[in-house]
Amino acid sequence: MTHPMIQFDKVLKAYGALQVLKDLDFSVDKGEVVSIIGPSGSGKTTVLRVLMTLEGIQGGTMYVDGEPLNKMNVDGQLVDASKAHIRRIRSKIGMVFQNFNLFPHMTALENCNESPIFTQGKSKAEATEESMRLLDTVGLADKANHYPSQLSGGQQQRVAIARTLAMHPEILLFDEPTSALDPEMVGEVLEVIRNLAESGNYTMLLVTHQMGFAREVSDRVCFFDGGFMVEQGQPNDLFGNPQNERLKQFLSKVLEAG
Amino acid sequence: MNRVAIVSALIAFLVGLSVATFSELRVFLPAILKGAVVTVQVSILSIALFIFLSVLAGIGRARGGRAIRWLSTIYVEVFRGTSLLVILFWMFFVMPEFGVTLSPMFAGVAAIGLNFGAYGAEVVRGAITAVPKGQTEATIALNMSPYRRMTRIVLPQAIAIMIPGMSNLTIELIKATALVSAVTLVDITYAAVQQNQLHYRTVEIFLITMMLYYVLAQFVRFGGEALEEYFTRHLNRRV
Repeated sequence: MTHPMIQFDKVLKAYGALQVLKDLDFSVDKGEVVSIIGPSGSGKTTVLRVLMTLEGIQGGTMYVDGEPLNKMNVDGQLVDASKAHIRRIRSKIGMVFQNFNLFPHMTALENCNESPIFTQGKSKAEATEESMRLLDTVGLADKANHYPSQLSGGQQQRVAIARTLAMHPEILLFDEPTSALDPEMVGEVLEVIRNLAESGNYTMLLVTHQMGFAREVSDRVCFFDGGFMVEQGQPNDLFGNPQNERLKQFLSKVLEAG
Repeated sequence: MNRVAIVSALIAFLVGLSVATFSELRVFLPAILKGAVVTVQVSILSIALFIFLSVLAGIGRARGGRAIRWLSTIYVEVFRGTSLLVILFWMFFVMPEFGVTLSPMFAGVAAIGLNFGAYGAEVVRGAITAVPKGQTEATIALNMSPYRRMTRIVLPQAIAIMIPGMSNLTIELIKATALVSAVTLVDITYAAVQQNQLHYRTVEIFLITMMLYYVLAQFVRFGGEALEEYFTRHLNRRV
């Protein structure tokens, strides 16, 4: 039996009285590339943040590769997950942030090595070899010994992607990865993400404002508004023939702005 | 012009003073230097205790579970809210009432370390809180353990932030060691008072006393600057 790689089952996320995700049902198949678009405050980033366990949820269950993430099976009962359980499931997920969040006191190479050495227990030589290979695939092997403060935004984001890949995640989450970049650096980061999408090795969830890019790389695009997934579909259908009124408004505004 | 005049006057004053006191120096200086040794001993030991308690209670207050946060808060509030001199008296004069007799050195170091550790804990807590939240989120996304998160990512960045505040407190602490004279230790200040009673060279004796404290403070200042330089080196290097 096949199961989705990511599944949200009636997930509720609220800050006090404000419900950001309202009983969200949502799933992503293995190897699928899904983009999430929507106005700010629609809950699209929250989908990534709760899945990465950066924030707790108030109701529902999330499944990763068929296993519950925020719950665990004890004698056939689903109970709240232990920290060890969350860490085990979480190891399948990697996340790239809007603001990169590189460790400023470590070089690009050390950033990539950090978790393989201290979390996965690899030797320094082993980790370095792999990190150098990954830095090479994002085109930054020559910047391995640079600190983040010595790199441009686009370079920092590419290091952050390499650092995430060093963990060997099966799921990649991208939270507006180009929003904090100067326009001329957006292309180099999108290029890296495009290659990852085309490799087919990863299940990818991408929150973005780059509509053209979303249309180009995604297998499916989801439109979020007000804590609900309002519409989803193949990129060409969703962008070319939107059904929902709010999606039409959103797209006309975004496309007007260029 | 004005500055030159002021500096020359100051130099002339100091030269004149040193000539006038040179003959007397050997009379009272050895005693004061012996006091300086005690001050340095008390300082080094209490600085060690102060830093240890600051980091412990600071982390406890910033990141501890409920029980640890409570304990740290009680410690900070008790020792920050009470007078150092009174704590010192408790250590030395009151504890024996409960059958615990402490040597003057032990009582002095414990009182100063506990008191300044309470201030330092707030500096450490502030520094930890000042490390951007995104750093913690990155460690979660990289599945790092809370221990590694603290020791590898948060503390190294927090140290750079806490150094100016901790240097300040360390200098303050050195000057506060003068209080140990109240529990019979003969430190710089106590030695100076004794020598003044014997020789009545008030200006010279207290000028030297001031200079000794100043010199000790400079060690802390340069040490702090060197540490700050070391912990922010990744931010200064540009290509």
